[in-house]
Amino acid sequence: MNNEFVIRMEGITKEFGSLKANNNVNLNIRKGEVHAILGENGAGKSTLMNILSGIYTPDHGSIKVNEEEVAFHSPQDSIGAGIGMIYQHFKLISAMKAWQNIIAGPSGSLMLDKKSCKRKINEICEETGLSLNLDAYVSDMGVGQKQTLEMLKVLYRGAEILILDEPTTVLTPQETDRLFSIIRKMRDSGKTAIIITHKLYEVMEISDRVTIMRKGEVITTLNTKETTQKEIAEIMVGKSMIMEFPRLKIPRGDVVMKVKDLRLEDLVSMRKLNGVSFELHHGEILGVAGVSGSGQKQLCQALTGLQKIDSGSVSVDGDEIAGLTAYDIFNKGVAQLNFVPEDRLGMGLIASMSLVDNVMLRDYQNGDSIFIDSKRAYKRTEELVEALDVMHPGIDKPISVLSGGNLQKILIGREIMSEPNILIASYPVRGLDLGVTHKVVELLNEQKQRGAGVLLIAEDLDLMLEVCDRIMVMYCGKISGIVDPETITKNDLGVLMTSIDEECPNG
Amino acid sequence: MARIVPLENCSMAKKVRIRVFAILMAFTLSGFLLLFLGHNPFEVYASMLDGGLGSSYRVKETLIRTIPFALTALGIGLSFRMKFWNIGGEGQIMMGACSATFIGLNFQQLPSFILLPLMAIAGMIGGGLWALIPAFLKVRYRTNETILTLMLNYVALKWITYLQYVLWRDHEAFGYPKIPNLVKNAQLPKIFGLHIGVLLVPILVIGIYLFITYTKKGYEIRVIGENEATARYAGMPTSKIILGTLFVSGGICGVVGMIQVAGVNMTLSIDVSNGVGYTAIIIAWLAQLNAIAILVVSFLFAVMVEGGSYIQTVFQIPQAAASLLQGLILFFVLGSEFFIKYRVIRDRKTRIVTEGEV
Amino acid sequence: MKKVLCLFAILLVLSPLFAGGAQEAEKEDEFKVGFVFTGPIGDNGWTQQHNAGRLAIENELGVATLYKESVPNTQESAKVMRDMIAQGAKMIFATSFGYMDYMLEVAAENPDVAFFHCGGYKNSENAVNYLGKMYQARYLSGIVAGLKTETNKLGYIAAFEIPEVVRGINAFTLGALSVNPEATVEVTWTHNWNDPPNEKEASFALIDNGCDVIAQHQTAPANLQAAEARGVWGVGYHADMNDSAPEACLTSPYWNWDPFYVAVTQEVMDGTWDANNYWGGMEDDVIRLAELGKNAPAEAAAIVEEVAASLVDGSFEVFAGPLYDNQGNMILADGESMDDFAKLGMGFLVEGVIGNIEN
Repeated sequence: MNNEFVIRMEGITKEFGSLKANNNVNLNIRKGEVHAILGENGAGKSTLMNILSGIYTPDHGSIKVNEEEVAFHSPQDSIGAGIGMIYQHFKLISAMKAWQNIIAGPSGSLMLDKKSCKRKINEICEETGLSLNLDAYVSDMGVGQKQTLEMLKVLYRGAEILILDEPTTVLTPQETDRLFSIIRKMRDSGKTAIIITHKLYEVMEISDRVTIMRKGEVITTLNTKETTQKEIAEIMVGKSMIMEFPRLKIPRGDVVMKVKDLRLEDLVSMRKLNGVSFELHHGEILGVAGVSGSGQKQLCQALTGLQKIDSGSVSVDGDEIAGLTAYDIFNKGVAQLNFVPEDRLGMGLIASMSLVDNVMLRDYQNGDSIFIDSKRAYKRTEELVEALDVMHPGIDKPISVLSGGNLQKILIGREIMSEPNILIASYPVRGLDLGVTHKVVELLNEQKQRGAGVLLIAEDLDLMLEVCDRIMVMYCGKISGIVDPETITKNDLGVLMTSIDEECPNG
Repeated sequence: MARIVPLENCSMAKKVRIRVFAILMAFTLSGFLLLFLGHNPFEVYASMLDGGLGSSYRVKETLIRTIPFALTALGIGLSFRMKFWNIGGEGQIMMGACSATFIGLNFQQLPSFILLPLMAIAGMIGGGLWALIPAFLKVRYRTNETILTLMLNYVALKWITYLQYVLWRDHEAFGYPKIPNLVKNAQLPKIFGLHIGVLLVPILVIGIYLFITYTKKGYEIRVIGENEATARYAGMPTSKIILGTLFVSGGICGVVGMIQVAGVNMTLSIDVSNGVGYTAIIIAWLAQLNAIAILVVSFLFAVMVEGGSYIQTVFQIPQAAASLLQGLILFFVLGSEFFIKYRVIRDRKTRIVTEGEV
Repeated sequence: MKKVLCLFAILLVLSPLFAGGAQEAEKEDEFKVGFVFTGPIGDNGWTQQHNAGRLAIENELGVATLYKESVPNTQESAKVMRDMIAQGAKMIFATSFGYMDYMLEVAAENPDVAFFHCGGYKNSENAVNYLGKMYQARYLSGIVAGLKTETNKLGYIAAFEIPEVVRGINAFTLGALSVNPEATVEVTWTHNWNDPPNEKEASFALIDNGCDVIAQHQTAPANLQAAEARGVWGVGYHADMNDSAPEACLTSPYWNWDPFYVAVTQEVMDGTWDANNYWGGMEDDVIRLAELGKNAPAEAAAIVEEVAASLVDGSFEVFAGPLYDNQGNMILADGESMDDFAKLGMGFLVEGVIGNIEN
């Protein structure tokens, strides 16, 4: 490692309306280091990285790459300066082969020389330790391979500095290990990596230095070796916070939901449920673990009536709800079943609508009048915002200006308002920082305490091991095991998540 | 090389500046066009205003033209709210006019106060059912509503042509292709020199504003428009709402057809809609679906169209040139929206365009 | 921004140079004639011929005219007429059938203005109808076609089943039969006045059926272009369409409104106008047949000239008995002739026409 700075961001300020997403931020990145950016959601990490990758232009401040001042107006500008960003949501064309994805996009010449392109890609692979079948179609690839492809893509375009936005959220522990070894190898070959993350152990494991952000400002930059996980966590949340998520120990009640041999085939995503059976009790949190795409989404959609099932039964307190549509389940009041979908702005909330409009989504039908009871809607929104400590510029403002954590508070808050018997929460802490994660866990525990059955789908195994009463592992649209978190280890969970004997058609 | 990048937040002052600039640009360019044709552009512009608002008669004519613009824009605006691209206002107007005329011609012995409401209901049903066809096909078979509504306009036009030339041809008109005029009973009464359909405009403007903003159904429509997945998640019967809304949307267009027949032309002909259904799309878009803005934009549009028509008779400007003039104004006004949302960067590395510069 | 302001300033400076043009229009007491057109003046057809008449009024009488193109057949036409009257128009020519009722409405409001409506049937004290006996020239074009055809099959592309069109088909058929008793006329209805691609397709279909002369009652010369492409012949309409298809075009019956427009304008100006309907023909030179094309049969010119002379002097009538329709019903007995009223409402196709009228 040397002390030469490849990136110097100085006095960066970016405002969205009245919200200061970045306030006078300074960030220096050394050549050949792995630099973690750590912070709660809404701390301004993503904004800062989006400025660096040319998606946003800062209101004030300067960016120097290799000591030369630059002004980015688009991602092309940024990649031109050797900075490539790998987003959480991949931007790949599934109908194309890997190598076609790599060379797609703005290139200098009209004609393509396939051979020399491939040669160049292979050179990059050798240099960085990435490996990928270049002739495979994206549609046939797993998440880890797609991520590799995204990295190849930016390296091919000449990126010397890689920004990875929460790269491990979609990976199994084993895949995460592989990713980290690749990042180390790339660092050794002279590349620089910036990792946005909120997982402390990852910071400790992979980074050379860590910059901690809070409320749009950089608090400090530390050498990872000279600090501890506890110290970082305290700086990040701004107050000393207990790291553990306590499991609420109460006796569980009767069965609230009984799922038997649930089967369906999702023709769009080609995923299946191959006979899922389990029971959910009052007063428990049942975790659902599994690599993403193992059927968790289909399970949620089937239970909530959003997707048609082929066969099987779902009974809630003795009432059969399988085969009913979401409209029936919701409106006939059969089941007091609420759902926190994983896709916050794609399904749970409406980005362009106000906080009030979003909060009333579940109970706008209240009352006999044809008019909406807006007084009630405002009151409930204010109560929710107050109770869950939601930071917002005004409850009349579009909800899209809120940070991920605040969005999630509103979403969960809304779903538990009606005190459901069953709460299905799909990835409720994904991408959230410690503070909000604590809050979410607290809310789920409250529901459990109240006697609701909670189905918690998540990817953070540490958290699940601490919070859940039982963990059900899904693989290939099936249950590969229901385990007791008190006795099982993380590694054994990882095995259940991947190593069933039979072939998995889901890929 | 020039590239386009999104402009994140455009200040109000800048928006105003861009729009004023666009209008100035339109008038300057068309001014040179008029100079080329041998006219004093400022006199032409003045007379355009004169033609739209110059006398009580012209104001009345402008208002009469505002009515179908505003009502149709409100009607199709409802479906646009749901991101259902209803390009079929034209056909829905025609089918509404057709069913209203059917009642008007066949039940003319009924007294006005029964006949006219019957005709309005028939118009609403005619236009509504016509809009239901693409709506049903969309929710059932996921067909593309833009193409279907557009194509149904031509079907409607051919149907009216058939009525005018064959089925309903006035047998007392010496075989001329004309549908009989509506009798007095079936004609809309006048109020302040305008037909009574004018009252529908404020009623619908306020009604739709209240409907969209404050009712449960309006809320459902807004949610579906933003995200259908969310609507289903919230337990809304999305297909039913789409069908219902399209019936109302087409129904309002159908009432426009009834008004044009019973209040303006006193007969049905293939010119009954005359492009209103298409103009209304531009109006709804310019007004960003806001009911009150639709009223204002419709009036300005009517002034522009009436004025544009007037200068043709006064200055003998060819129709093509007058259309070009209107086209230029529209082009710049619509085009300026681009510069409110985006900006163009000219150079790759060094040049930074300062915020204020246009 | 600066550049545009600069342009705007230039515009301001230049504009007074053209102030004269507008002032002319300001003279509202001057006698003016207004024309309401259904299509654009450059349509190469109906509106172009009316516009030629308008220009004749300007040139021969020095009278100012107003016009507006592409006015729809709705209430809007009434507004255009009122605008013209506000500009000083003392005469209004409304040149589309659909304007009739609206014209009567405006006529009642303006008793001192003379209204002329082309091709209608309702009158009032100051509003009349006028039309030309196009069927005369159609008959002559039928003679040319009847002489030319080798297959004895003639085709006719027609827009709508209305009397004006029906009269033309019948006259054309009678003309052809007068020189060629074997001839038949096959009619295709397009139900559109102006849809050239469709008209072309219809022409090709008729040619494929064996027709070798295609006549038309449409706006555009699509039938001639189709005939030219297939090496057969056709007859134009509205104006002399020879230039569109010099090989195929045998001749074109066309409108010549100049004499009527000039004469009636003079009458109104002189105060001698008697507010009668007008239905002029070749005798008034309102209807003409274009000079025969280079591929017209050699013997045709003499026959056409002779028949034309007898039409002009009134010794020959196109619709005269014995006349049968194509269902075999007798319309006129031998020696009978047809009055204008019956001609204006003509609703049958004569013997020799292959086709029918719906309703």
